[in-house]
Parts: sequence; C-alpha cells; structure tokens
Amino acid sequence: MAEEVIRPALWRRGLRNVALMSGGSVVVLMVLVAVLAPLLAPHDPYSQDLTRRLLPPFWIEGTDPTHLLGTDHLGRDYLSRLIYGARISLGVGFGVVLVSGLIGISLGLVAGYFGGLADMGISFIITTRLSLPIVLVALAAVAFAGASLATLITVLGLLLWDRFAVVSRAAAQSLRSRDFIKGLRAIGAGQVRILFLELLPNMRAALIVVMTLEVANVILLEAALSFLGLGVRAPTPSWGLMISEGRDNILFDPWLTALPGAALCVLVLAVNLLGDGLRDITGGRLK
Amino acid sequence: MTPSLTQILLSGAAVAMLATPVLADKASDTLNVAFSLEPEPLDTYKIAGREGLILARHVYDGLLYKDMDSGTFKGLLAESWSQPDPLTLEFKLRRDVTFHNGAAFTADDVVDTLNTVIKPDYGTRYAISVDWIARVEKVDDYTVRIHMAKPFAGAFEMLAGSLPIYPHAYFDAVGSAGMAKAPVGTGPYRLVSQEPGVKYVLERWDGISPESPKAGAQIKTIVVRTMPELNTQYAELMSGKLDWMWRIPPDQADRLASRVQIVSAPIMRISFLNLAPVAASGDTPLKDLRVRQAVAHAIDRDAITRAFAGGASEVLKAFCNPAQFGCTDAVTQYAYDPDKAKALLAEAGYKDGLSLPMTFAAMPRPVAEAIAADLAKVGITVQLDELQYAAGVSKWRERQAPAFFSNWGSYGVGDVAFLLSNFFGGGADDLVQDAELSGWLHEADTATDPELRKADYAKALSRIADEAWVVPMYSFNVNYGLSKDLSFRPYPDEFARFWQSSWK
Amino acid sequence: MLVYLLRRLAVALCVCVAVSALSFGLMFVVGDPAVAIAGAGGSARDAEAIRHAYGFDRPYVVQYLGWVGHVLRGDFGQSIYFNMPVTEIVRARLPVTAILGGVSFTLALVVAVPLGIVAARKPGGLTDRLALLLAVTGQAVPSFWLGLMAIVVFGVWHGLVPTSGADTWQGYILPVVVLAYSAMPAMMRITRSGMIEVLGTDYIRSAEAKGLPTWQVIVGHALRNAILPLVSLAALQLGVLLSGSIVIESVFALNGLGRLAWESLLRADLPVVQAVILILSLVYVVLTTAADLVNAWLDPRIRGVR
Repeated sequence: MAEEVIRPALWRRGLRNVALMSGGSVVVLMVLVAVLAPLLAPHDPYSQDLTRRLLPPFWIEGTDPTHLLGTDHLGRDYLSRLIYGARISLGVGFGVVLVSGLIGISLGLVAGYFGGLADMGISFIITTRLSLPIVLVALAAVAFAGASLATLITVLGLLLWDRFAVVSRAAAQSLRSRDFIKGLRAIGAGQVRILFLELLPNMRAALIVVMTLEVANVILLEAALSFLGLGVRAPTPSWGLMISEGRDNILFDPWLTALPGAALCVLVLAVNLLGDGLRDITGGRLK
Repeated sequence: MTPSLTQILLSGAAVAMLATPVLADKASDTLNVAFSLEPEPLDTYKIAGREGLILARHVYDGLLYKDMDSGTFKGLLAESWSQPDPLTLEFKLRRDVTFHNGAAFTADDVVDTLNTVIKPDYGTRYAISVDWIARVEKVDDYTVRIHMAKPFAGAFEMLAGSLPIYPHAYFDAVGSAGMAKAPVGTGPYRLVSQEPGVKYVLERWDGISPESPKAGAQIKTIVVRTMPELNTQYAELMSGKLDWMWRIPPDQADRLASRVQIVSAPIMRISFLNLAPVAASGDTPLKDLRVRQAVAHAIDRDAITRAFAGGASEVLKAFCNPAQFGCTDAVTQYAYDPDKAKALLAEAGYKDGLSLPMTFAAMPRPVAEAIAADLAKVGITVQLDELQYAAGVSKWRERQAPAFFSNWGSYGVGDVAFLLSNFFGGGADDLVQDAELSGWLHEADTATDPELRKADYAKALSRIADEAWVVPMYSFNVNYGLSKDLSFRPYPDEFARFWQSSWK
Repeated sequence: MLVYLLRRLAVALCVCVAVSALSFGLMFVVGDPAVAIAGAGGSARDAEAIRHAYGFDRPYVVQYLGWVGHVLRGDFGQSIYFNMPVTEIVRARLPVTAILGGVSFTLALVVAVPLGIVAARKPGGLTDRLALLLAVTGQAVPSFWLGLMAIVVFGVWHGLVPTSGADTWQGYILPVVVLAYSAMPAMMRITRSGMIEVLGTDYIRSAEAKGLPTWQVIVGHALRNAILPLVSLAALQLGVLLSGSIVIESVFALNGLGRLAWESLLRADLPVVQAVILILSLVYVVLTTAADLVNAWLDPRIRGVR
C-alpha cells in the first residue's frame, strides 16, 4: 500500500528535477549510441586509409563529406571512432562498477551488520585501500598485467570498491537496529537472508546514487590511464587514447584532441547530473 | 561560462608577469635555438644526449676535425700528425690557440685532459671513446704522443669529436663539475651564461685561430632554450621568436613548410621488420618462406613511407641504406600485392589466416599500427607489443619475438659492414645463423679490395632478400625548421654546426 | 583525548605496515626482479648472480623486513635505470610535486570555501547556481585534457605562460590552476552543504536575532561548525591531488614524483615505483590522521567524550 503511494511521488519529483532529466536523457542517448554503434558509425573505426590522413571536420575547409568529423593520423574516420569510443567508456564504466560494487557492498554489509571484529578488520582494509595512490597503483597493475580491456576492468574493479563499502557499511549500521531487522533476527531468520533479502533492498536508493557517481569516476580514470598509455590498448577507440594520439597535432589540428575531450566531458557531466538528481529525489542522505 | 574563473586567474597572472619578449634574429644578430630535450651538464666526456654534445662542440675543440664533405680528417688543435709505430700517434700542436679564459694552449692541456678522462674513476660516459688510450706523453710544449692500449680503427673518429681538450690549470682546479658549470674551451663560441638544462647563451669567440677549420663563424650570439613541448616551438618559429628547431614529425613539417623554411636531411638510420624463422623454437608460421614472403608483399611500404617518414626518406629496396658502401638494389623485390600475399599464405596452408605477435621498439606507434592493419587485410592478425629498445632487443635475442620492428643507425657510418654483420654475422642478434652468409660478411668486413667487398655484400643482400628474413622499410630523415632569414646546412651525422650558419 | 590519540596513531601505524607490504609485494607480483635488473643482454647466469647478490633468494618475509629496515633509514635501494640511489632521485623530484600539490590545494581551498559560503547564503540563488555549475563542470572535465587545451590556448596561441617545465614559477601557473580546478568542487560542495545546515539552525537564527553582524555570524559561528567535514575532506583531497599530479606532471612535462613514477613504470624500474607508491601512501596516512586529530580537537564528541 505504502509503496504505491511513494512511487508516483518519486516519479513526479524525478520528472521535475532538471539535473536528473537532462543528465538522464544524455546518458540514455549515449547508451543508445554505444549499443547501436555498428548502425550509426558511417565507417569501420579500425579501417585505415593512409592516403586520407588528417582530413579536417566539416566546419573547416578541405573537408571530405564522407568523413563528417575528419580522419585521424592513420586515416580512420573520426566520427566512427568517437561513436565506438562511447562503448569503451560506458563498457568500462559499468563493467568496473559491477565488480567494485560486488566487492564493496559485500564488505560493507558484513562490516556494518555484524560489527565488532569483522567491522574492525574491514574498516582497516578500507583505510588501507584509501591510502594507496589510486592512479599510480592502477598504472602499475596494468603495466604488469599487460594492457587490455579485461585487465583494466579487473584492476579498476579491485581498486575502486571503497565508496560502495563505506556507504553500505553506514547504511547497514543504521538499519541493523531498526525494528523489522531485530524482529527477523528474533524469529531466527538466516543471516544471509537478512543481509541480502532485507538489508540490501533497503539501501537500494543510496547504492544506485553511489553507482552512478562511481561510473563517472571510472570513465575519467579509464581515460586518464589510456591517455598515459597504460589503459585500453591501441587501436581500440578509447577517448582517452584518442586525446593522447591527437596531442602531437594539437597546434595544427586541435579538433583531434578537442572532440574526444568534449565527448568525455559531456558524458561524465551527464552521469554526474544523473547521480546528483537521483540523490536529490531519494532524500539526499548521502554525501 | 565555466572556465571564466580559470580565465580570470590566468589573465591576471599573465598581466602580472608579462614575459619579457625575446629579442630575435637577424636584426640583433642572435640565433634563437630550441631543443626539446634538456642538454646535460657541459662536460663532453659525461654527455650522452645529442643536445649537450652539439653545445659542447661549439665550445670545445679536439685534436682533429672531420670534414664531412671529403670524409677526411683535418688538424684542429693539432697541426699535423704521424704514426711512428702502430700503437703510437704523434701530434704537432698549433701554436696560436688561446682558450676562452685567455690561457695559451700547449701540450700540457692535451696531456692533462686525456690522462684525466681515461681514468676509470673519472666516469667517462662511453668507455669506447677512451679505452683505446693507454697514456698520453708530452714530448715538448707543442708535441704530444698518444700511446694506444690496443689497435683501434675508430681512433681518429674519436679524436675528431669525442675527445675535447680542456685548459689544464682550470680543469685541475675545478674538475668535471666546474667545467660543466663554466665551460672554457677553444671552440668558435664561448658560453657566456647558462641556466643548466633551460637556457644557454653562446657568443662568437673572435680569438679563434684563423687556421682552425671551425673558424669563420658569422652569427654573433646564439641563445639555446629547452622547450619540451614541440607545439610551442612551432608557434614560436612561426611568430619569429625562434630561428632553429629540429626533429619535426613529417605531418607538422608539411604544415609548417608554407610559413617557415623546412629542411629535410637524410641520415644513415633505417627501419625494417625482422622476421625470425626460429623464434619460439621454430614453432612459428614464419619458418615457412612463403609466409615471410606474404608478409613482405602485404605491407604497403610506399604508402607508409609517404605518410609517416616524408621528407628525404626513401622506401628501401634492400636491407641497407642506399647511401652506404656495399648497398645494392639488385635483389629480389616484393611489391605491394595483397592478393599474392593471400595466395602465398593459402599455399603455405594458412588459408584462414594466422596470428602473429609483433614486437616494436624505437618506432612510432602509428607506423606499427599501419603495418598491423596492412597485415590484417591479408588475414594475418598481429598482436602489437611496444617495448623499450633494450627490452625489445633482448626479447628478439631470446627468440621470443618472431617479428621485430625497429631501426638501426649503423653508428652513422656509410658502410653496410656496420649493419649487416650485426644481424647476419653469426652474433647474438643473428637468429638465422646461416654459415655461408656470415662467411661472406666476414670476408667483406675484413677485406681491403672494394670490388671484392661489394661482390660479397651483394651476395649477402641477395640471400637476405630471397629468404625474406627482413622486410626493409624506409630510411630516416631529420626535419629542421628554420626562420626564413637563416642559412643552415644539415649533415647526416645529426650534429648542428652553427659556426657555418649565417643570415641570408 | 590521549586515548583517542593513541588509538588513532595505532591504526595509522598498522596502515603504514599494510601499505609498505603492498608496495614491497609489487616487486614480486611483477615477475622476477633479478631478470629485470640483469636487463637487456643479461643471461640466466647474470640473473642468478644478481638474485644472490640482492638476496632475492631469501624468504619473502626476511626480504621484506630487510627492505623496511632500509626504508626506515631512508634507503629505498638502487634505481635500475639511473643506477643511483632511489632516495637521491626522489629527493630531487619531491619539491616539484610538493609545490604543485601544495599550491593547488591552497588555491582550491581559497576559492572553494568563500564560494561555498556565498552560495549557501541563498541556496538556489544566482551565485549558488553559478557555483554549482562551476563545481559540476570541474568534476566532469578530465584534468589532463583541460591541461592540454590550456597549453594550446594560453601557451601556444597567446604565449602568455610557459607550457612545460618548472624552471620558473610561471611554469607552475597552468598546472596549478588545472589541478586546483579538479580539487575545488568537492570542497566547495561540502562547505556549501555544511553551511546550509548550520545556517538553518536555531542557534544561528538566535545569533542573528541578537543583531550580530552577518560576517561575524558566518565566520564566528557557522563556519566553525561546518568545518568538521571540510577538514576530513580536505585531507582526502590533498591525497587525491598528489595522485592526480601524475597525469598533470606528464602533460606539463614537470619533473616531479608523479612523472618519475610513470616513466619508471614504462622502464620497469621497480624500486622507484615502490618508493613513490610508499611515499604517496604515507603522506596520505599522515594527512588523514592529522585531519582526524584536528577534528577531535575541534569537536570533543568525536573522541568519545559525551
């Protein structure tokens, strides 16, 4: 009964939230672009044509109408690479959050619900993890495991669970003293059942917000690692990698660097707005 | 809207400092030079990088000078020389040479400098430059003898560039660090000020001996600055704040060509793709000659050379630089022909393609990617593995890199002896170990008859081409960006000689 | 307070031990360090000799303790690439990173706190919206890209500032601004939300009712109460800044610790990487511990005094 009353209210608030709606629609658009990349991209993003290198985009003279945004230093269609780049950014973003969320939430739930020694141990792990310089450790791990999409997702997933852990620990702590959980314990419900079927659904809203903000964080980190040459491996069209490839030509062809950077900004901005909006409508108890 | 804050802060900062404009060029007789890499401290004996060595060669002189046009050695601090016995060199020194600090140059300077830098504890960077000297002896004030520790064919090369003479009293007093801090030499320019690694100001030394082959410098002042970002250098070159820069990638050289002078000079270095039939204990598709030939046919070397090398670079017809003695193009050629490549692969049993790990080092990634893309078109899937040069070479030697894409500079020497024997002479880098081939090379390297040498090298190059052990790519060039007023002549040894430059 | 202090220090110490073990372990996750040191052209026998000479054949625990012992004496071992003591290299590079991180942090703080306060005075007002916009974009713009764009616009097109190197103080302008811009949003937001919360309390309302001047209310009362989360976050952000300087240093060709670590990674010079990871981690531990202690001093409830 109560659920039915809350839901429409939530929806109404959502629809009225500018940040949520604008961020959300851009994210949906980007996801569509990523999913439909093979249909949308005018060319194969990997196909090189050394006779048509560094063609300028449509607003600059000397352009080629078949390459709307020009071509890169290997004569690959830039628009197609940008479109496929959305796949990498979003794929890595969601992939990493899947891994890190699983780790972080499990640790946080256990620490927050059981407290005591478990909490001390897990809190210690969180503190240790927070004190590691994340970019450097990720770089080192990728350098040694060999750069590939799978390595990158694993490495970042294993490193970026801290926010999930902190949030779910706090949520679990506040929920464990609530009456319905106490009641379940009293009637002898299994711990696993309480953890995953009762606690988890109750912190759903908070976790979705964290997840969104983490996706943005991961996208930026992937771009930075790829920019430094230790993320996604060429010739994969990652926006971070494209920025670094355009760097040599930045004086004469600044658009090679500007375009992927702009795409990155828009996506991260949209995901952040979506996260902020979600936080606003779900009560904003989180930082 | 957002960067507004950034902009405000920046413009504030910019106004606050208003960088002092650099006075440039012809009008002030100042040559503004930019390097991307920091020159090392200016004691030649401890420098590895080209930037520091170029500066040092303006400040210091050695006993000899190599004339690049005739390939002969001339006296620089020495007037004449002789070889009384195979392990002794005797030099008569010039009498009219003065150091930048006013000290007169005598035999003591030669003896003191060389006897100091040959000591292991001095820490001379390249042992090869000094380890052939046993000791140096003063005969009289203007005669010295170098007693050699071993016969060394490169002795004159070393004396001509790598063994400058320091003023002995000053050198003894201040040591290596002091020399680097305030260099004193006999060269055509003297260093008047430096912020180490950042900025160097050189001024023409008018006290130079008129007999010196380095005499006759025209430009009064040279200002050398380190600017790591090439794009900044382009901008300054175009705006006239810079007169000289180098190592401009071909794409940028093309864009700059209409606004400044671009000079492209060929150098000895060549790039190539090594194919090892024996990598991974013979368990590689490359052990089949047809697969190696298919690789050679699959790569569009013309397009790659045009796109990425540009300038004075040439597509190589054999595994050697055409400028080298012994090089010939009368060997089997592999034209770009993807269909033939596919046919060869099918014949060899790889109808559905194959996968090939390719290591590359010291080559631009785009070139490696272009090769990989060409190979992909005929069904060869390449896994690119970029390594630092040393790591790449060791992987090759350990036979873990069936395909190794890299380059070789032949030590800047115009003779294939310095190229072929390294890769096919039976040494560590020779994975083929063809006894007949290394026999020809050995004979050619040690023979004195040029015709015999040529014939041997031709046989060797034919064998290498027939077996497709190497896919030769292209020769390198260096692009220089010059202001329109500057007249500058590049040399294949990549040493800038500003004492030969002048304003137009 | 003393109990809290000791407990907090004990935790910090344990974290240091864990972090040092992790950075030490890195050397072995990677592969055989002896082979790395033997380098190009090194034979299996060379590697064996090195293994013995460096003591890589001893049990890990013994090696770890030995390493820690040296580190405690300020000896991080020998760089494989430079062939000189890591401590010397690090000491030469540390000032650049310290200046970059310190100045960026100060700039971010100096911009974020007043902006947060002003924004909080009228939530939803024009200033607030602009401040939030600045924050939202600051969080979305990749700093390395912003750095490159700044180089082109301010350095190359207009020639206002040096684009790389830290040989003059002008060389720090762009990297500091770019780095500060990425650290500012979080601090601005937390100041703003803290201030909004405090300004809404009866306590402040009564202070205002008493006729105290606005700035006095804000600085004397509200800010004091809103500062706790800011202190914790600031420590965190300084850590983030140090980590972020890796990317910025490589963009602006600054010879700091971050660039050193990155280049060392590419050259497989592990002792240097280990040292930098450990140093950055320790800096972070010190900062967060200090922040906690400051907070405990500011707010007695934290130390368990009820």
